[in-house]
Amino acid sequence: MRNELTKRTMTLNLTEAEMGVLESLSAQKDLSKTAVIRQALRLYQLLDARLSKGEKLFFEDKAKREKAELMVMI
Amino acid sequence: MKLRRKCGLKVPEHDDLAEADLVDELSKDDLMQAHLDWAPVRLEALKRLQEAKRPWPEHWHWDWSKKADLLDLLAYRCMGVAQGGRMQGLMMLSTIAGKGRLPGQQGKAVLYIEYLESAPWNLRALAGTPQFLGVGVRLLEAAVEFSGEEGFGGRVGLHSLSQAADFYRKYMTDLGLDSSQSQGLRYFEMSAEQVRYFLEGRRP
Repeated sequence: MRNELTKRTMTLNLTEAEMGVLESLSAQKDLSKTAVIRQALRLYQLLDARLSKGEKLFFEDKAKREKAELMVMI
Repeated sequence: MKLRRKCGLKVPEHDDLAEADLVDELSKDDLMQAHLDWAPVRLEALKRLQEAKRPWPEHWHWDWSKKADLLDLLAYRCMGVAQGGRMQGLMMLSTIAGKGRLPGQQGKAVLYIEYLESAPWNLRALAGTPQFLGVGVRLLEAAVEFSGEEGFGGRVGLHSLSQAADFYRKYMTDLGLDSSQSQGLRYFEMSAEQVRYFLEGRRP
């Protein structure tokens, strides 16, 4: 069972550029910076689990009829 | 599992209310236990429907034990309503934000409800007179609350089977058949205004 009530705190050191992206995503998505980091972690774990099972990740542009596999080193 | 808070369910047989537990962070074992409890009741009910030549509910094949592995991932979270030592309803949430589609909240984070189901003895289609009413609404309330806690503003979205569409239409906006998915399901989303009315127990 996951215990999400017990929260732990850490210091995150980011470059100016990384912080800029975090702040931009936070504003765009109307989410706190902590929420953005949490979203990223959940997505990273989900992708890692599915790619580890041999599934593939694609980006598709229907207008341009392009489909490309995203090769990620997770 | 852990208790999130107490909630009330209607008992139609006695025209009364029963206190229930809204439980959160369900484990794989919790889902397995609910499956073992529900499966024989569902099977008996389906046999009766078949003998009576009546249609089966669209979700008759749902098997929560097969969804249990999703709980290994942070991307999923399961809640339930427990009463009398039994799970009266279950809900699986995706904790990865979906993108809002309603005008006014397009692109904003929306909590997506993957699955929501009442126990077979609480479904009119299977049980005749349900043991408890209001399980679905209690779970929908929990989703809205959790969406708020996640910073999603209470916004929730889901794809509905056609038999459940009338239920969701009471509280959410029907955005029609979703061409982006192949199962021919309708997409529903709750706006910020609908969230406010819903939590106040009113309809817009």
